[in-house]
Amino acid sequence: MSHGATDPTMHPEVQLSTSKGYFLGFAISIALMLLATALVTSHSVPPFGLLMVITVCAGIAVIAQIYFLLHIDISEHNIWNTVALVLFIPLFLITIGLTWWMFSQLYLRTMDMSVMSSVTNPAVHAPATPKLSDMSGMNKNPDSGN
Amino acid sequence: MLVDLPGGWSPLLGRLAWSQIPYANPILAPLFVAVVIGAIIILGLITYYGKWTYLWKEWLTTVDHKKLGVMYIIIGLVMLFRGFIDGLMIRTQQVWAVGPHSSGVFGSLHGYLTPFHFGQVYSAHGLIMILLAATPLLVGFMNIIVPIQVGARDMAYPYLNALGLWITAAAAALIMISLFVGDFAHNGWFEYAPIFELQYSPGVGVDYWMWTLQLVALGTTLGGINILATIIKMRAPGMTWGKLPIFVWTSLAANVIALTSFPALQVALGLVAADRYLGAHFFTAGMGGNLMLYTNLFWIWGHPEVYFVILPAFGMMSEIFPTFSEKPLFGYITMVLASMAIAGVSWLVWLHHFFTMGAGPFVNTAFSVATMLVGIPTGVKVFNWAFTMYRGRLTFNAAMLWAIGALFLLLVGGFTGMMLAIPAINYMVHNSVFVVAHFHSMLLVIVYAIFGSVLYWFPKVFGFKLDEFWAKTMFWLFSAGTVLVFVPMYMLGFMGMTRRLEYVFDTGWQSYLTVMELGIVVYVFSVLAFFILLYVSVRDHAKNRVGADAWGTSRSLEWMTHSPVPFYNFAVLPHINERDELAWRRQHGIDQVRPEHYEDIHMPNNTGVAIILGGLTFVLGFALTWRIWWLCIVSLLAIILLMIIRSFKGDPGYIITGAELQRMEEEAYRREAQVLDSHHSHPVSGGVVGNAMAYQRNDSSK
Amino acid sequence: MSAHASTVDPKKAELWDIHHHSHDVISTRTLGYFLYLLSDGMLFATLFAAYGVLSYQHSYFGGPTPAEFVKPWYTFGQTIALFLSVLAYGFGMNALKHKSKSGLINGMLAAFVLGVIFLVLDIHDMSHLYSMGITLASSGGMSAFMVLTQVHATHIFFGLIWILVMIAQVMTKGFTEETVGRLLTLRMFWHLQAVIWVFVYIFVYLWGYIS
Repeated sequence: MSHGATDPTMHPEVQLSTSKGYFLGFAISIALMLLATALVTSHSVPPFGLLMVITVCAGIAVIAQIYFLLHIDISEHNIWNTVALVLFIPLFLITIGLTWWMFSQLYLRTMDMSVMSSVTNPAVHAPATPKLSDMSGMNKNPDSGN
Repeated sequence: MLVDLPGGWSPLLGRLAWSQIPYANPILAPLFVAVVIGAIIILGLITYYGKWTYLWKEWLTTVDHKKLGVMYIIIGLVMLFRGFIDGLMIRTQQVWAVGPHSSGVFGSLHGYLTPFHFGQVYSAHGLIMILLAATPLLVGFMNIIVPIQVGARDMAYPYLNALGLWITAAAAALIMISLFVGDFAHNGWFEYAPIFELQYSPGVGVDYWMWTLQLVALGTTLGGINILATIIKMRAPGMTWGKLPIFVWTSLAANVIALTSFPALQVALGLVAADRYLGAHFFTAGMGGNLMLYTNLFWIWGHPEVYFVILPAFGMMSEIFPTFSEKPLFGYITMVLASMAIAGVSWLVWLHHFFTMGAGPFVNTAFSVATMLVGIPTGVKVFNWAFTMYRGRLTFNAAMLWAIGALFLLLVGGFTGMMLAIPAINYMVHNSVFVVAHFHSMLLVIVYAIFGSVLYWFPKVFGFKLDEFWAKTMFWLFSAGTVLVFVPMYMLGFMGMTRRLEYVFDTGWQSYLTVMELGIVVYVFSVLAFFILLYVSVRDHAKNRVGADAWGTSRSLEWMTHSPVPFYNFAVLPHINERDELAWRRQHGIDQVRPEHYEDIHMPNNTGVAIILGGLTFVLGFALTWRIWWLCIVSLLAIILLMIIRSFKGDPGYIITGAELQRMEEEAYRREAQVLDSHHSHPVSGGVVGNAMAYQRNDSSK
Repeated sequence: MSAHASTVDPKKAELWDIHHHSHDVISTRTLGYFLYLLSDGMLFATLFAAYGVLSYQHSYFGGPTPAEFVKPWYTFGQTIALFLSVLAYGFGMNALKHKSKSGLINGMLAAFVLGVIFLVLDIHDMSHLYSMGITLASSGGMSAFMVLTQVHATHIFFGLIWILVMIAQVMTKGFTEETVGRLLTLRMFWHLQAVIWVFVYIFVYLWGYIS
């Protein structure tokens, strides 16, 4: 079990590193983050569409990072990592998705209906009325830009 | 201090003060004296016999997965006993404090426990039984059996294995010390928001509960990673996925659950800590917090955890039934699929613990249907076990009796579970003792499987069998206790008795409660029978020695090596040709073939770092509980530094030469030959001889 | 006995592992660590679930919301620092491939410095909020915001300690099986932080800013 003579730097998991791959992972994700930030600050897209766009940005960036940085593919040395990740992803989605679903249903039934329009989907809420920000003295909203 | 605390606080001792020691409590003070005397006796005996070096070298610093497993099981059994005593106290209080005319002692209006103390007892009972009894017992068995069953010499990470054990031990120590220093939580084992918030539970009870649970979660996650990596990476040559024993498959499924679900618990507890220590508002009733969020996060972990403990129990049953039916397990593939299906569905059902939250018909229906789906794979398993026994040559020894008992309890618990899966029924019996009776039925499946496994694998680990007579006595007493306690509990649940009553207002329930008290007394006798069983078996161990294959009809790899298993497991790793390799070799008359040639093997060194880290995590937990900040910082820094130092030193391991291995192996074979000779003159009860015959008959019955 | 369907001839069967295959210590280590990282991912998923429940309008209890204090371009600076740090570590690992000790250490030092920049920006941001009276005790929504972002920052903090430890180990011990295994696990840890950060940045900072 002790390799002794073998050179650990020749291990396939070391050898699969490539500068090009890491740079691509970096470039793609930073470009997408830049795009998302620019869109968000320019307020040129309606909120719901904006949410969709930045979600897509996040999705592509994460896929690029998982592929280029974490080396998730179906090659012999990474297959178990890939299997484990594929088994985990549904659980991430279940945890977040089902929780969000049950609480949105709960809020629908238990919260004051007059604030429901903003409660059911915070993204489509347009701040037509001034925010309730008197309590902590936070009455300035420098980025509201509407 | 980061939040305003009720009561005193000093920089040196935090919240700790003499007034926190319950020396005036008429129950705890005598117990404390007894514990101190007991500890002095044990430590004195170890010193008298000069066993400290042995203990340190062979056990406390070991990285051998079998010894670690044994220590897990010892922790589990000790905590099972503690949890049982808590159960006894609960039952006694409830049979005593019935109706307004019932008497009261020790400062209690009714019964002998004040409501606050009673609350601590049932909270501790629940937490201990699930996380510090069932979990360590099962982890212990997985630790011992899985590496041998996959044909490995040790776990994938022996040092991490030791670390997991000592962190679990630290958790057990933390909950035990809460008996004598401060209070334990009194709001139930899973707690409720917002009552665990600082303003409603100002004592240290919730903090003890929180850090104990956090340590268990850490230890179990580490153990889970280890077992998963062992199964994936350490299988012997030829051990393909289709040849893995079912116990390995269920361990795999269980640890996938552990790995994925324990983080949810850690988050839930971490957020409780943020609320209690930093003044956050996650679960507060006002300030934008959401108290049901806690319940949600807790049960995201809590329900998978239920399957984390039941799946290895299913695996144990799947090992016991074929051995004592002298048949291969019926429906291997469906058994594997069922285990995986249970693990998968376990992630979709957690809301059924709080149907009454009121998330509405869509949500409740979805989770209700998902819950009922669990019945399908579980039903597959039950039928598979039944068909395994069908037309088998059954041996009704004690291990088999426990497994069959587990099967019956699974039916009871499963059917009542189906009832509870229907939201309409669930609303009626929510928080009643019907629910309590249901989950006790399920958890008793685990207890039955564990006792069956103790009997089944004991000879493998220690080299001799446990006494059949006392094992059977214990089984029948335990089963009588189970019936007497839980049948009336189901009935009381239908009558509307809610759980956790320290005072029972309806005198009409007196007779049921009396029967339950009778049942718990029968349980006490079964516990006594267990102690006698251990005593008698150790006394007569020379008579009950066994060879490699203790039962003569076992099927999997662990029975191919010596009993007790040498520290290197296999001198030469076996090459696996068939599922149930040992049964296959026996059938073809090649089970006695020995390797011709021994090669050098590499083994990990023992290390004291794991137990020191365990001790430090205990100190950290204690310091956090009492808010002794300097001690928190010191212990945390010590932990980090020790880990860094250990990573610099590493472990080169050591080599056992082939010649040395050959010498040890020949000695073991000689010992086994003596055992087998003596057995021909004294047949052991329950043991089966004439193995080859059994196989022939099995084949002809097909 | 012949009735038993057997695919292997027992007379010729190989019973023992005579070829003595040695198992791959490094990939066993990386697999276990990857499993741990996934469980760490689960930890973040649960935190995101909590954030989802606690990011409604009423969760802020009339107090400050992320829309009022998030500065996207400032946090984008953090993003650049972290992604560059991850890239530097990747270049370091590429140097390891070519057995270049100096290349590896340079990459790790750069990763360390950039990680520190990320952390300093984060601490500065948080202390700025604190000076405005915005803490995790402000409301349930703020508790969720703070804990989610600061748990990520804590990961970065421990990652930085680990980078220092590994620089020391590579300098003293060179490329042994243990150090190389640890460098690989650290790579996974460090790169996963970037993945988590994408979610934190998009769904906590940017989404919080627009809602």
